[in-house]
This record gives sequence, C-alpha cells and structure tokens, in this order.
Amino acid sequence: MIEVENLTRRYGQFVAVDDVSFQVHPGTVTGFLGPNGAGKSTCMRMITGLTPPTSGTATVLGKPYAALGNPGRHVGVLLDASAQHNGRTGREILTLGAIMMGLDRRRVDEMLQLVGLTPAESRRRLRNYSLGMRQRLGIAHALLGDPQVLILDEPANGLDPAGIRWMRSLLRGFADEGGTVLLSSHLLHEIEVVADDLVVIGRGKIVASGSKAELMSAAGTTVRSTDDARLANALEVGGFQAAPLAGGGVHTDAEPRVVGQLALDQQIVLVELRAAGTAGLEEMFLQLTAADARDGAAA
Amino acid sequence: MSATTQVQDQPVHMPSRLDEQPGSGIPFGRLASLELRKLTDTRAGRVLILVTVALVVGVGLIGTFSGKTTQDKNLNDFLAFGSAPLQIMLPLLGVLAVTSEWSQRTGLVTFTLEPRRSRVAFAKWAAALVLGVAGVVVAAVSALAFTGLADALRNTDPSWHLSWQVLLGTFLAQLLSMSIGVAFGMLIQNTPGAVVAYLVLPTLWSILGSFSWAEQVAHWADTNRTLEPLYDGTMHGEDWTKLLVSLLIWIALPMIVGIWRMTHSEVKSA
Repeated sequence: MIEVENLTRRYGQFVAVDDVSFQVHPGTVTGFLGPNGAGKSTCMRMITGLTPPTSGTATVLGKPYAALGNPGRHVGVLLDASAQHNGRTGREILTLGAIMMGLDRRRVDEMLQLVGLTPAESRRRLRNYSLGMRQRLGIAHALLGDPQVLILDEPANGLDPAGIRWMRSLLRGFADEGGTVLLSSHLLHEIEVVADDLVVIGRGKIVASGSKAELMSAAGTTVRSTDDARLANALEVGGFQAAPLAGGGVHTDAEPRVVGQLALDQQIVLVELRAAGTAGLEEMFLQLTAADARDGAAA
Repeated sequence: MSATTQVQDQPVHMPSRLDEQPGSGIPFGRLASLELRKLTDTRAGRVLILVTVALVVGVGLIGTFSGKTTQDKNLNDFLAFGSAPLQIMLPLLGVLAVTSEWSQRTGLVTFTLEPRRSRVAFAKWAAALVLGVAGVVVAAVSALAFTGLADALRNTDPSWHLSWQVLLGTFLAQLLSMSIGVAFGMLIQNTPGAVVAYLVLPTLWSILGSFSWAEQVAHWADTNRTLEPLYDGTMHGEDWTKLLVSLLIWIALPMIVGIWRMTHSEVKSA
C-alpha cells in the first residue's frame, strides 16, 4: 500500500510536484504516466524519503518511508539503474545490498538467475553493462529483500521487447501474489498491458487517474461508415463531440450503443464500431499532457 | 487485449519468499563493516591502499639505505617515516568513502536502504577509523622490519625502544587525520573538491603560519603543528588545548555542517 497525500515540491519558483494525491493498492499494478519532466521521479524520490517534500505526506505500508526499519525488506526500489558504482561488478552490487539487508548470500545467486544475468555477466563491472543489463540488475536489487511493495522508475528503459514482456509477467505475478507495484513510464503502451490503475501526471499535476477500464471507457468510440460526414453531423446534432480521424472514420465521446442506434435511425451503413480503448487512451494521454504543457493549467 | 492473454500464458519464475523476519532496523556494526567493504571493493580504493602501503615500504627502504649508520636508524625514527605517507594518503579513503555516494551516485541506493542517513555517516567514520588503525599497524610492522634490516645490513645498532606515548600518539594522530578526511568529504560531497581541499588547505595554513603575523593563529589552528607533539610523544599542558582547538576547526565544524548537509540535502540521480 502506498498513500500519497497533497504532495508538493517547489524549487524556488518552479513547482515540480503540485498537490499530488493517489493511492496504490495491494494486488494491483499502478502505472505512473507522464511526459519527461512531469514530476514522476521527484514524486518517487519523495515517497522513498530521498527528497524532502515542501508539503504533503507519503506513506508506504502505513508508515513514512524513513520509519520502516530495514526498508529494503519491505519496499523494493529502483530509481536509476545507472546510479551504481561503475567499478563494481553486478554480483558485488547485489552482495552489498544483501549484506545491508541481512540476507543470506545465496539470495544473490537466486536473483541473478531470476533476472537472467549469467555468472560470467555478473562478474563484469557495471561500466561494461548495457542499459538493459543495468535494468535487470536493478530489478534484481529491488527484489532482493522479498518486499511487499515495488517502486520502479522507468524500468522498461533499455529493455528489449522480450525483456519488457518478461518484466510485465514478473510484475503481474508479483501483484497477483498480493504485492503493490508503482511503475512509472513516459510511454503508455509500455505499461497499459500490465497496469490495473493509471495515474497520469503533467507538469507536476495529476491530470487523470483511475482504473484502466474507467479511463478507457472515457476514451470514447471509434466508428467508420459509408458516410462519415453525415454520421459526424448526426452525432453533433445529438449533442456529442465528433472528430474525423486521419485514416477515415470518426472519433466520438458517445458510447458504441448510442452510435449504433443513431446510425440505424439515420440509415447510415456502419463498417466498424468499437470502443476507442487503448488507442483512445493514448490520444487522451497526448491531449491531456500536451494541453498541460501549453498552458500549464490542467483539469 | 491479446497481449494480456499472452502474458498470462507465459510462465514466470517468481523469487522465493524469505523465511527470516525483516527485523526492526540495520545494526550499526553491519553498516560499518559494509562501509569498510565498500572502501576496498573498488579499484580506486584498492589502488589508494596499495599506493599507501608501497609508500610506507618505500620510505622504510630509503631510511634503511640513506644517511650515516648512526643517523635516524632507531625504531622510533622508522615509525615516524612510515607515519608520514599514512597521514597524507589514508584520509583520502575517508574522503572517498563519503564523496563516492555522490560522485558515483550510489547514495540513491544507500539512502533508500538506510534512510536514517546520520547512521550511514557514522558508519563511514567508523570504517575510516578501522582503516586508520590498520594503517598504523602496517607502519609499525614495517618499522620493526626495517629497523632490523638496517641493523643486519649496516650494523646500525639501533634503539628498539618505543615509548607508549609515541605509539599511542601515532594511533591517535592517524585517527584524527582520518576524521578530518571524512569530515571534509561530508562537507564538500564532491570527490575532486574534497580531495583538493583536504590536501591543500592544511598546507596553505602552514604556509600562512610561517608569516610572523599569523604565527600565533597557526599554533592553535594548524593541525600539522598541533599534531606534531602527538607523533613525538611530547604532549603536555597547553599542547592539548591547542590540539583541541585545531580539531574543533578541522573536524567538529566540518563534520557538524557536513552531517547536517547529508541528512537534509536531496539525493538525486543526476
């Protein structure tokens, strides 16, 4: 369980995180989504006690992070996979973590195997690791202490498609066992498959949050017909928004059932009718964050 | 949607659950020994230690073969030779112990695993002190060996007497130098900056102190001077007060400000 309440961080005049509140529940994966510089990392650093908030509170498992004795045994954190000593081997980095958390050294081998780093790779120094290998090592480090909560900042960066799929499966499995996952990304399609809930942030403010299903149904309907112009007109007359799509077809905020009824009434032949779903969510994400980037005042 | 089913179809290997209880906190001894390991598991750390040992042996060799056979060939003298490189080099490891958390950005991990950062600070200090003791032990062994070697090769007929004041003073002075290094690291948080400050500032002081108008200040503030009677085993009376004042300036002040910085600053990755 992660609870964030009215978290704000200012740097002089600049407000990096502005009154952000959300919750991450056990058994779910929450995607923390936003363009670069939206305040995701600052928010995660405040949750993990690295950055003191200007105001507001964040608790993990019911306590402020700093009050968790031996936090590595409760919360697995990966904020920057490259923030490790370049001259240490992957194995040494995990060993240091295991010592600090008071774990058996065999845990290091188990984690290396879990993330798919070979014994030979584990003996190489970090400076010779690719970004993908660093991410795998970072995930191994986060899982070392058998935590109930995972906080991962852009863990998919640098992973190959197979690696991304592996990570999704891992996080899904982790949440299905009752774990709590907060996962940030600047790419919607990277986390939409695995996330149950989404928190969308732009310019330090939350612009949308809720379950993925909720947000997707709010994303509207895509429809194609033999006469898109007349259909769009009919939708507008009916009080709905309707926008022509680049490749033909219309996007509208009306539900698919309503669109179908309207087409029947107007005797328009439909060739495609579906909830906009993830494509719509992507569109919405772009709109929300772009609008926010332009005028800085979001809904 | 199809991707979701694919993910579910693919079997995932999950980490095994741990039996042991997390415990209420990380014991200080564990933190300190971890910091000691971190000082010796990187190339920078190992090279610094090797160079220091090489210098201790090097000055021993020079001491053995240079000068007249009656000149500076006692155990006391060889210990003093060996202490000089120790005093300059080893505290740099104290500096590095702290600054690498920032320059190598490892602080991000260290301080998420132990959010009570002052404990990390004291663990680093403790690790540096252990290293200082080990250094003096190496210097003492080397001094014994070279005193014997000089006697065997050049019939120097040395005095093997080593007063407890000198031995204790050497240990204490080394520990204080280590502490100055750690304090500078905490205050400056940046490897080149702290190393330069540690090496240059006391020397600047010594140069300044050679001018008559600054001489009085230097007696109280120049650790090169205030530590000297400690190495010589001639501490008495006012020497202690002077040492204390200089330590306030070079250890207490930077340490307090440094720990405050460390516990209050933001730990960022870039």
